[in-house]
Amino acid sequence: MALLTVKNLKKNYDGSPVIRGIDFSINKGTCVALLGPNGAGKTTTLRMLSGLIRSNGGSISFEGLDDQTDIRYHIGYLPQHPVFHSWMSGKEFLVYVARLANLDKKTAAARADELLARVGIADAKNKRIGKYSGGMKQRLGIAQAMIHQPKLLMLDEPVSALDPIGRREVLNLMEELKQETTLLFSTHILNDAEEVSDELLMMHNGEIVESGPMEMVRQKHRVDKIDVAFQKDFVPDESLLTALPSVMRIESNRGIHHIFVTDTTQARDELLQLVQSEHWPLERFEVGRASLEDLFMKVVKS
Amino acid sequence: MAELFESVNWALIAPLIVIQLILQVVALIDWFRIERTNGPKIMWLFIILLLNMIGPILYFVIGRRQE
Amino acid sequence: MMQFLTVFKREMLESGRNFKWIWVPLVFILLGLSDPLSTYYLPQIIESVGGLPEGASFDIPTPPPHDVLMMSLAQFSQLGVLVISLMSMGLIASERKSGVAELVLVKPVKYSTYVSAKWTATSVLVLVSLFAGLLASWYYVNLLFGDISFLHLLATWFFYGLWLLFVISISVFMNSLFKVPGLVGFMTIVLVILTSIVTTVLNHILDWSPAKLSPYIRMMLSEGNISGDLWATALITIGISIALLAAAIYTFRTKEMA
Repeated sequence: MALLTVKNLKKNYDGSPVIRGIDFSINKGTCVALLGPNGAGKTTTLRMLSGLIRSNGGSISFEGLDDQTDIRYHIGYLPQHPVFHSWMSGKEFLVYVARLANLDKKTAAARADELLARVGIADAKNKRIGKYSGGMKQRLGIAQAMIHQPKLLMLDEPVSALDPIGRREVLNLMEELKQETTLLFSTHILNDAEEVSDELLMMHNGEIVESGPMEMVRQKHRVDKIDVAFQKDFVPDESLLTALPSVMRIESNRGIHHIFVTDTTQARDELLQLVQSEHWPLERFEVGRASLEDLFMKVVKS
Repeated sequence: MAELFESVNWALIAPLIVIQLILQVVALIDWFRIERTNGPKIMWLFIILLLNMIGPILYFVIGRRQE
Repeated sequence: MMQFLTVFKREMLESGRNFKWIWVPLVFILLGLSDPLSTYYLPQIIESVGGLPEGASFDIPTPPPHDVLMMSLAQFSQLGVLVISLMSMGLIASERKSGVAELVLVKPVKYSTYVSAKWTATSVLVLVSLFAGLLASWYYVNLLFGDISFLHLLATWFFYGLWLLFVISISVFMNSLFKVPGLVGFMTIVLVILTSIVTTVLNHILDWSPAKLSPYIRMMLSEGNISGDLWATALITIGISIALLAAAIYTFRTKEMA
């Protein structure tokens, strides 16, 4: 069931379109990655969904929400670079936003403590936010977005500014969060999208260029290919390879030969036979499936 | 000048001096705790210390970086 | 109401932590003290500087008490208004500029609540500071020049307070127009000065301009009763302030905040 449905959403800045009428929907309980290169319009899209900026057309509808209710009750949002009142403590800030979300005093305090522990900064809850590290601020940011138990949690580039350790911690946290709420996050890193999300929205130049469940998109853009590599300094006779009936073309790059084929099963047998009869020093043999990367590169470069 | 000093009722002037002292002390505490100011931080120390009355006020109004 | 109090209390906490609750009242007290004292000691100061030519007799008439209190009001109108404008220029603008507004405004808080709570918090600080300053001035005037009744002091506080609330409302309105605190402060001061100039130029038409509060307060202090003009001016000032607030809220709603 669709929690959020977006239809023909548009945004112009100074007359030129930034978002060119996008359609998508987000199902309840899924984790969706909004993937695209920088400048694709990811942040603009999220900011429109959160109500921070207005669209220039199109509609955003939230399941079971009448016109009277403020959409902000149901969404949590973490901006790409969250800024806090640096003179407040982490706990004070969380209680503050909880109260803004209409939680009563007791619940606000309890919820703040719970989330501080959950995101792993309980030790620093009474310290001034000005003294927090980047990773701690990001975690506090996630906590503030979760404070009112939103139905949809939106995170804008939650891990891109973090060091490898912080990145790992936040990704693990997201794994946990997606168990309890619907999660939409933007990223320009394919690995992050593949790791956490079930669904993909790929964006480029203000348009959604591909979308659907991860596995489906993978299948769709699957290119049958076999990657092979040989011992150092060995150069195979490419004419022998192209002579094989199932091989279409070969691209070589840094010692790895990407062999595009019509049928992987048949090609595998032919290739292995050839390697054996010619006594080529094979080191690596991989039936390819890294299809998204090719798609992403194609999108980014176009 | 000496005459002026004698004629002044110091009980009347005392509050002025006390207030100025409080302003200066509070500005110093704040200056010490704050991370950054508008313009060089050390400059504001001199302004607070050397310009009576006006110094601490200038610091709070202009020198202090808001958020 | 709860959200209003939440924003209001946070503002109060901030004003406490950054010492606004100490320095703003103290500045107003200083401003209030300076004129009664300097006026009282003026003859001695001139004498000690010795700027008078031989034989010139020097006679400064001691001003009536209410004139001295009005001098303090003039201080509040200049340096006081300057301090208020600079102090409140980042009230909302700096939150928008830094990005904190992004976190606050994705929570289901009404813009009207957010804006009016911030206006109220600033107003409370300014009104308390004004009272402290007036009290200081009044005490010294009574000591050095002669009596002004406490009731008149309260009336002065009430009516002059409206002028300062008008200044705060201009500042909040400017906060809704611009994101850069410095520009907000500058435009606020420009608009306040403009109000005074226009009132002076069109004196005969603008009987109830907010800038006329001070002259009417002077009349009240010298004549002893509150004139109908003062009441009318007060009402007009309240009306314009409310309109400015409404305009600020409207601008926030239609404009993109963060």
